[in-house]
Amino acid sequence: MRDRWIFLLIVGVLAVGPFVQREVIATEILIFAVVALANNLILGYTGMLSFGQATFFGVGAYAAGLLTIHAGLPLPVVLAAATVLATGLAVLIGAVCVQRIGLYFIMLTFAFNQMFYFIAYSWTTLTGGEDGLPGVRRPAALADDLTFYVLVALLFLACLLLMKRVVDSPWGRVFRAIRDNEARAAAVGHDVRRYKLLSFTISAAFTGFAGALYSLLYGIVPIDAIHWLRSGDIVFMTLIGGSGHFFGPIIGAAFFIWLSETVSVVWDRWPMILGVVFALVVLFLRGGVVELIRRGHGLVTARGGAATAP
Amino acid sequence: MSALLEVRDVSKSFGAVAAVAGVSLAVTEGRLHSIIGPNGAGKTTLFNCITGEVQPTAGRILYDGRDITGLPPHALPALGIARSFQRTSIFPTLTVAENVWVSAYARRETRGGPVLVPADRVEGVGETVRAALAEVGLAAHAERPAAVLAHGDQRLLDFAIALAARPRLLLLDEPTAGLSRQETQRVIAYIGTLKGRYTIVLIEHKMDVVMTLSDRVSVMYFGRLLAEGTPPEIRGDARVREAYLGKRA
Amino acid sequence: MLFLVVSQIINGVVTGMIYALVGVGLTLILGVLNIPNFAHGVLFAFGAYILLSVLQVVGNFWLALLIAPFGVVLLGLLLELVGVRRLYTAHHDYQLLFLFAVALILQETIILIWGPIGTSVLPPAGLQGAVNLGLTVYPKYRLAVMGITAAIVAGTWLFLTRTNVGAIVRAGIENREMVAVLGIDIQKVFALTFGLGAWLAGVAGGLASPIMGLTPSMGFDILPIAFVIVVVAGLGSVPGAILAGILTGVAQSLTTIVFPEAANVVIYLLMGLMILVRPQGLFGKR
Ligand SMILES: Nc1ncnc2c1ncn2[C@@H]1O[C@H](COP(=O)(O)OP(=O)(O)OP(=O)(O)O)[C@@H](O)[C@H]1O
Ligand SMILES: [Mg+2]
Repeated sequence: MRDRWIFLLIVGVLAVGPFVQREVIATEILIFAVVALANNLILGYTGMLSFGQATFFGVGAYAAGLLTIHAGLPLPVVLAAATVLATGLAVLIGAVCVQRIGLYFIMLTFAFNQMFYFIAYSWTTLTGGEDGLPGVRRPAALADDLTFYVLVALLFLACLLLMKRVVDSPWGRVFRAIRDNEARAAAVGHDVRRYKLLSFTISAAFTGFAGALYSLLYGIVPIDAIHWLRSGDIVFMTLIGGSGHFFGPIIGAAFFIWLSETVSVVWDRWPMILGVVFALVVLFLRGGVVELIRRGHGLVTARGGAATAP
Repeated sequence: MSALLEVRDVSKSFGAVAAVAGVSLAVTEGRLHSIIGPNGAGKTTLFNCITGEVQPTAGRILYDGRDITGLPPHALPALGIARSFQRTSIFPTLTVAENVWVSAYARRETRGGPVLVPADRVEGVGETVRAALAEVGLAAHAERPAAVLAHGDQRLLDFAIALAARPRLLLLDEPTAGLSRQETQRVIAYIGTLKGRYTIVLIEHKMDVVMTLSDRVSVMYFGRLLAEGTPPEIRGDARVREAYLGKRA
Repeated sequence: MLFLVVSQIINGVVTGMIYALVGVGLTLILGVLNIPNFAHGVLFAFGAYILLSVLQVVGNFWLALLIAPFGVVLLGLLLELVGVRRLYTAHHDYQLLFLFAVALILQETIILIWGPIGTSVLPPAGLQGAVNLGLTVYPKYRLAVMGITAAIVAGTWLFLTRTNVGAIVRAGIENREMVAVLGIDIQKVFALTFGLGAWLAGVAGGLASPIMGLTPSMGFDILPIAFVIVVVAGLGSVPGAILAGILTGVAQSLTTIVFPEAANVVIYLLMGLMILVRPQGLFGKR
């Protein structure tokens, strides 16, 4: 019931979005909202911290870019192919990473991210290396930024609904059980590694899909898209929004993109601000903005209660 | 007289510590078989060897005539083996009903079909959940998060999780550990009701409980099997007396 | 060709020894505190940059190399005190995220203090130039680094195996609860380990600066390599970290001969292979 209200609220925000923000920024927010929501499937729901989400984001982006530039395939095919590629890669990487739990999982996802970064960096003939991959053209019908925003907004809603279904499905419940108590989940008969791989793969599929959209947004795949710092950004978005709530990461993505857009034009050293905010969140606000809303809500209702009590 | 569970000469060492050293036991179908022994005797480790949490360094484990040594923990519920842990082991942020659902779902009969349906609509699982909750008397708490339950209720939830796997063999590791006297009474009474319906292996420290509930008792001491017999036999056994009274009480 | 191979192997060993210093510190922190220290790379970078500044003041490389790492130790202890310790009761994910945030802040700090452009440090006076090793001519300083890192690693090993404090650190890696049960102040052990790890990273940064140069991103560049070393080595294993460091360095520099573009990729492939064949690492027990 409450979810339905939030959903309506989101639709409302989507409708006014491009009037409050430049279209491309609003679009970028939605793309990263998908990425952050997908990251929360593993982080918030399954309890796995991945420091390698940019691998799938970047691979999705490069795949879409290359297919658009060299093969000239229609958009739906490009998006589908990029998603499939990211997903397949996630199965391979995930199969190695879920062999080890906890800290090792983090380090492995991180290290593989760096490996794919170097591949993109060194394979200049394919990816353009450090300079990025330019010339990713949107189909003529989508050339207008507002039109593209509308498309991304619709795709965002589709992703949102799909992920909500995953979370509410039997898989989602087993993911949460694994997050809560891995040993018990195994003892009642769930193959924990398989479920972790499943969660990781689903997450990567959405991330790769979002990466594909990203390459079309700016017409270029910057090398940063696949750098592990981008993976850090993704974790940051998820946490600052609130990993304990399904919709939380959307707020985080919006905040992150807004912050980077406003601060980075003013100050070159903006990652420092990012670091400070991140450190403060980790130290004092682990539930993210959602936690803040909850606390604020608690405060308001407590006051209201006190006022009516006498 | 057939043994549902047979442990043959099982050993497990952690480095220099021989936690379990050549233990054998046979548990007859339908009986309640207790394992007792002082702290650190190796009881939990023996359970962990049976359920695949640790790999025994030597020995075999047979269940229903089948060698199950080395199977991973998640493979056992499908064979009809369920366990509880020494420390209450539940899913704290899931609701009570969801806790039990996780176990029932792992043992669902209908597989395949659409996957992205709401969890509560998976066929056949809901009935198992309700039955298990009713059985332990937690039906009224179904929608509360497990973390907020009283400790005794969490223990019962732990049982409900095990029961929802519809096991033949139940392995219970110190089900009354850390409970108040009242809660202990409740849990003991409850285990009494399980007796006969399931084959049960029970690790327990409280002697009176063991003596009243058990059909057979195995005594472990420093990783080895010290004695085995009916409760009166164990009570009369001089070595057991020495192990317990001489060194401990 | 043979000359090239030989000198690349020696190059690999030298870089590998520096990697090993970084890796040993990281693996100790991981083993004892149970956190992958995401700020470890940036501590390495600070080792180099502080050395640069100290060198400008004291004018002697060796003196600067002696002093600079202690600046890094102070920094490390500060991090431990204000962040890691406070977050000890939270999930370890938060500790490492805190350290990641700190790494971002510190990297930007480097740029603010020392500027965005890379720089370099000359090897100390007596060690400029090369010596003839028969098979190949080789820079003196790099040979010296090999000796110094070997001595430091040996010293760390002796500290861990021959002193009481070292024994406590090792016990912490084996079984943390046990150390607490023995009535040892685990906080002190944590701080000590973090400090030692930071020192090793600082020394490595200082030693590396004449070879690798100084860039603000040097810390972020070495961090993933250090992680590879820890994974390949096995949790908390010092000998493993040394061996893994050298293997990594050599693998990297040999690949440079045949397929330079893949030099940075090959170590991650090795790591992936390792996980599949021997998930616990070279010397890991669990
Ligand atoms: N994972 C492990 N690693 C190292 N040693 C272990 C491990 N698990 C158990 N041990 C050791 O094995 C021995 C037996 O422990 P176990 O927990 O099986 O005893 P127990 O009979 O269940 O004791 P309690 O009554 O206290 O539960 C102990 O000495 C214990 O320290
Ligand atoms: Mg026990």
